Amino acid sequence: MTDVTAPTDDLKFVQRIRRDYSPLVIAMVGLFVVIFVAGAVFTDDFLTWFNIKTIIRDAALVGIMAIGLTFVTLSGNFFLLSMKEIAALSIICFATLMGADWNQWGAGEGDPTTSALVMTFSVAFLATMIIATIAGAAQGALIGLGGNPIVVTLGAAGLFFGIGSWWSDNLVVSYRRPHGAEWLGTGSFIGDIPNITVAFIIIAVVAELTLRYTTFGRQVYLVGANRAAGRATGHENFGMAIKCCIIASVCAAFVAVAFSGQVSSAHVNYFSSEFGSSGDMTIMVIAIVMVGGNSIMGGYGSTLRTSLGAIFISTVDNMMVLNGFNSGARVLAVGLMIVFSIIVFALVRRGSRAVE
Amino acid sequence: MERIKNWVTENPDLSFAILLAVSVYTFFAITEPLFFTHRTGFAIMERFAVLGLVGLALTLCIIAGEIDLSIGSNAALAAVITVRFTDSLGAVNALLIALAISTIIGIIQGYFIAYLRIRAIVLTVGTLMLLRGVALFAAEEKTVMLTDFRIPDFISTKMLGYFSPASLLVIAMFIIVGLFMTYTRYGREIYAIGGARKEALASGISLKRPMIIVFAISGFCAGLGGVIIGLRSGTAQALGLQYLLLAGTVAAFIGGVSILGGKGGVIGAAIGTLTVNFLNTGLVFNVTPAFMVQLYLGVLLLVVIMFQTGSRVFENRQQRSQILNDVDQRRNIWADKISGIRRSSG
Repeated sequence: MTDVTAPTDDLKFVQRIRRDYSPLVIAMVGLFVVIFVAGAVFTDDFLTWFNIKTIIRDAALVGIMAIGLTFVTLSGNFFLLSMKEIAALSIICFATLMGADWNQWGAGEGDPTTSALVMTFSVAFLATMIIATIAGAAQGALIGLGGNPIVVTLGAAGLFFGIGSWWSDNLVVSYRRPHGAEWLGTGSFIGDIPNITVAFIIIAVVAELTLRYTTFGRQVYLVGANRAAGRATGHENFGMAIKCCIIASVCAAFVAVAFSGQVSSAHVNYFSSEFGSSGDMTIMVIAIVMVGGNSIMGGYGSTLRTSLGAIFISTVDNMMVLNGFNSGARVLAVGLMIVFSIIVFALVRRGSRAVE
Repeated sequence: MERIKNWVTENPDLSFAILLAVSVYTFFAITEPLFFTHRTGFAIMERFAVLGLVGLALTLCIIAGEIDLSIGSNAALAAVITVRFTDSLGAVNALLIALAISTIIGIIQGYFIAYLRIRAIVLTVGTLMLLRGVALFAAEEKTVMLTDFRIPDFISTKMLGYFSPASLLVIAMFIIVGLFMTYTRYGREIYAIGGARKEALASGISLKRPMIIVFAISGFCAGLGGVIIGLRSGTAQALGLQYLLLAGTVAAFIGGVSILGGKGGVIGAAIGTLTVNFLNTGLVFNVTPAFMVQLYLGVLLLVVIMFQTGSRVFENRQQRSQILNDVDQRRNIWADKISGIRRSSG
């Protein structure tokens, strides 16, 4: 090994930041940090263990979806406008199978046995994942063939939502407790940390490691950063779009399963409005990907940024709730943050790189 | 006959749209006895007033090679503002304020998109959320309602049999925008930046003017649509009108726009919207639930996209094979020549 890289390692932290990031981005992050610290100091009950747990749990559901979507964004396919509809279809599928008559597995009268619960859950979970995979692959194939991702997923969103409503007759599908999904929805194995938080952390770590250290991860960056170069080296967008869309829809389906486990029921409108934080779930997920600072044109960003974006938005939301703001002000704040970060990142890119 | 044939071969997209519209209309006119009546005609024109505006706005955006995702939020904001201020300021003033705000929002969006040189999807997905927040703020998280529901009756009085002031206004809007797009320099600039942006910029067209015009018209149309919906129903919800985006996109794509930009026109938008309206109205006659309408619209959009993508893939493949053929031919010619030279020399 030569010593070519040695001097850069000796740079001080501040210098390295100044070399790698433009002043605008530093200013924006600084502004966010100032708001954050000010809020933390002046908000009562903010810096408690209970509240921090709440924040991360809030971030978990949208965060997992956003991590899935990050793959699509990084591979240069913008985003899927059908995230919440995939989740809606999955939640209906899961709840219908959980509540079906045939799944008692010989339990007979009284409480079902553990093995019956496990079997029911596995069958429902697998079926949901298969449906999500098919949904993702279909969209990915259309996108990979050259269809515009926005328009394709807009159409697919209508289709999936329609299928979900038609399957459930637009009614709430509910199933009895105890059921096999309770551990995922409300349970906690490690102390008082909810399992969904643990799942969020595991998925975030695995996704980040995949993107950094596997061939597939590097291919995602390559196809996203330079499609022509990708094609020239044998990495067509067709396969990549399918893989990334499958990852995104499986993540959405996982969120649907976890949410259904929490409330023991399902309805197609669960993800449509006023979910968790504020506004529309799909837009919320896209907002997280953007606020995290991933490049929407692809090739630049990471799932770590997405996870931090999820926690950041959830923190701001939590702070505003604690200070008694209504949903309007919260949606407004998130919207301002997105537009602000879009403009800042665009200004930075405008100065640094040749415009397409 | 010969002229019709020529016209069809010249405008395949438009003739396909007309064919689709006529066949959908005929299908429902035959199966539903009430469909082919004066009242249904009026109802279709009333729906056309709103959907047509959104279809027109999205058609213009897609011609310019961009897409405006914030159209539903903008319409909801306009509806909320109109309904909120009708009581204190009167319907006409409230309407004008809402339209002005929507148009200004559109202008700002267009300016930023051109100035920052980002894709419109990126900015409008942010403004989608921002405008929802503003609308929620303006409505104070409630469903706003008029106190006197007779005030906005003027907007749906029947005129000339099939029309109301709203639909006449929208038809006038279509004609004006159509003339603007076809016969003015600014309109042709919009086509230019959509179809061949690099070439357009290289030949000295500024990106700012057409982009601002497109998004101003888009904002105005969204606002007008929201105003009409708000006044007609007398209520407005800040989180409503999300379905406009899907319906408008379907209308635009049936009307023959290409996602690559630079193709399509106002007549196509009108026909596309009418097709969606026929479908909507006909399905209502069959007592179809709203979510099924959404399903059909989604399928329709996917089918149109599949056709477009398929034809593009096919064309690319044909082009490539033609190029390969050319190369092969030239190689053969050269090989012949070289072997001829060798033979003559050897």
